[in-house]
Amino acid sequence: MKTAVRFGMVVLGVLAVVGLMVPSAALAAKEIKIGVIYPLTGGAAAAGRELRAGAELAAKIANNVMTDISMDMAKNSGIKNMGGAKIKLIFKDHQGNPTIGADLAKKLILDDKVDGILGCYHSSVTKTVSAVCEQYGVPMINGTSTSPALTKRGLKWFWRTTPHDKWFTKDLFELLKGLTEGKVRGVKAVPKKEIINLASACEKTEWGSHVSDIIKSLAKEYGFKLKKSLLYAAKSPDLSSEVRSLKAVRPDAMLFASYTSDAILMVKTLKAQKAAPKIIWGQDAGFEKPEFRSTLRDSIVGILTRTVFLPKVAQIKKVAGQVNTLYKKNTGNDLGGASARAFTGLQTGVHVLEKAGSTKPADIQKAANALKIPGKELVVPWAGIQFAASGDEIGQNVLGSGLIGQYQKDKDGNLVLEIIYPFDVATADMIFPFSF
Amino acid sequence: MDILISSLFAGLLIGMVLALVALGLNIIFGVMEIVNFAHGEFLMVGMYTGLFTAQATGMEPLLTLPVAAVVGFLLGIICYYGFIKFLIRGPMVAQLLGTFGLMLFLRNIALLIFGSEDRALHHGILVDKSFDMGMGVIVPATKLTAAGLSVVAFVAVWLLMNRTKIGKALTATALNAQGARYMGIPTERMNALAWGIGGGSVTIAGALIVNFWSVNPFMGLLFTMIAFAIVALGGFGSVPGAFFAGLVVGLITEIPGIWDFFTYTFNFDWMNNVPMTSLKYMWVYLAYFVIVVVRPRGLFGWKQ
Repeated sequence: MKTAVRFGMVVLGVLAVVGLMVPSAALAAKEIKIGVIYPLTGGAAAAGRELRAGAELAAKIANNVMTDISMDMAKNSGIKNMGGAKIKLIFKDHQGNPTIGADLAKKLILDDKVDGILGCYHSSVTKTVSAVCEQYGVPMINGTSTSPALTKRGLKWFWRTTPHDKWFTKDLFELLKGLTEGKVRGVKAVPKKEIINLASACEKTEWGSHVSDIIKSLAKEYGFKLKKSLLYAAKSPDLSSEVRSLKAVRPDAMLFASYTSDAILMVKTLKAQKAAPKIIWGQDAGFEKPEFRSTLRDSIVGILTRTVFLPKVAQIKKVAGQVNTLYKKNTGNDLGGASARAFTGLQTGVHVLEKAGSTKPADIQKAANALKIPGKELVVPWAGIQFAASGDEIGQNVLGSGLIGQYQKDKDGNLVLEIIYPFDVATADMIFPFSF
Repeated sequence: MDILISSLFAGLLIGMVLALVALGLNIIFGVMEIVNFAHGEFLMVGMYTGLFTAQATGMEPLLTLPVAAVVGFLLGIICYYGFIKFLIRGPMVAQLLGTFGLMLFLRNIALLIFGSEDRALHHGILVDKSFDMGMGVIVPATKLTAAGLSVVAFVAVWLLMNRTKIGKALTATALNAQGARYMGIPTERMNALAWGIGGGSVTIAGALIVNFWSVNPFMGLLFTMIAFAIVALGGFGSVPGAFFAGLVVGLITEIPGIWDFFTYTFNFDWMNNVPMTSLKYMWVYLAYFVIVVVRPRGLFGWKQ
């Protein structure tokens, strides 16, 4: 009997010692670290704030049960298939600099031991950061960089949820074509010769220079004349020589790819120089930022911008409205193209982790390549998310699509973005021609 | 033809403002032979001063010039007595690195206080207004006024330097500090005054520029480089040289417009494909390089 008691005591003692040796973290739900690299200072800091708020909101929804949000991610507290593991975001600021971005990615991977990376907004930074991720075999999800070249490199650890600039720019040319065919709501068919002359000005980093190339090739394909195509430095304090150069060819439509401060400066300079194109179209980014609207106010009525999300979407899509309400409560602003896509980027990461059930890179890779998120789960008006696992655009979401919005005034005199394209979901008549 | 005329006109207008930017650098170098790398940051301080004074008081932005001048003058004096005075006792390298440090200090202070966002003026009787001068030349009212006031400020500084005892004392200090000291000129005060006048003139330029350009803490370097080019071209220490070189540099920044004129006049397709706008500041630095190599004392500089 004594022996049995002694044996029992020894077993209990061993169990107690072993129990003390097991770290408490192993008993608690695991934490999943995701490095998020955005431009939190510098010229694109305003966009950085939006991106950060979007990603943070997605993490909050993923980490808590929120019954008032109609998406799978809101039904569980943390990643259900990983014992409720919580998402922890580690934010880093790349300042719009590709070299800094690459250094930060290395630090996140080697020092912080992140399980994946989200970022980076600037295509030029996404390019270097994705190269680092590829080198270390760490999964990277990109929600907001739109240079087409990013998914043409055959990377195995890089997935992009947003449609890229070729799709967006094609939307613009479809709109121009639609104008000539009388398909645009509220505008009678415009003879092509009245809108045939185009001029473009794009900032000269990876993103802008690619947009410029796409405009050149699509103008040719759709039979428009690109009379002037120029690149400029986004940090330039003065754009008057650029505007004079554009004005000199008397374009019917002016097309821009600009970040925030240069988009504001460009429009101010166009107005000061009394430029008079019939259409001004911006390739999202700066043209959609709250600062663009609050700074230029009524002078932007009639300007078009491509986007992936407009507050109007929240009115026609239930889940977008629910998330928008939360976002507005946190930031005071409606979801925009940047924040909605940052949200979607992290949401995709959560779905990938749920499907993989582990943080092993190989499992994540397999899950991402086989992922399919239906459109009803998303705040953005896409058919869903499914990545190309082969072909010449590996890692690109093939179910995305874009919108073209136009700044107009609503009944109360507030500046709003109305959907003009796709034609079947247009929310207002298009203002044509544009004038300052 | 209209693009040629409007480009030349715009170049001359902005050249007048850039000349005022460079004037302060020129005076400081002329009197003390010290290169102020923080000059662009002084301009940034002037821009923020003009911006916030106009926004806080609701006054017309152009009326903030005296405030900017006082802030710039005091900043120059404080920098001299608090920092430069000790720096000039060291070797040339220490002076260069010291003003470089001052540049980083002012930039990061601005970043801490104002944040990294671009800020711009959106009110004022001249903001968003332009004059149609005919022949396709449209001039923003802010730039036209800034150019006019730059010329006034320039003339005032020139008169101060050439028609007053203080100006002559500054010139004497510049030419021979030891000799000036023997003649009873308080050279240390003259050095401080040079920093004060240099700071005041560049902050006035800043308060003018903020009427049409946005400001952020990182913008100083571009203007420091442009100011160096102007001072090198005009000649270190020469006030008229700075004005003339400012006009030349202003015209150089408009090379893309002049290029466009030739492109459309001769209808050469290949010219249309040259990315002139993305290289527009390259020509300024090229001019700087050429003048330093070919004529180091500049067009109007003093002979040693």
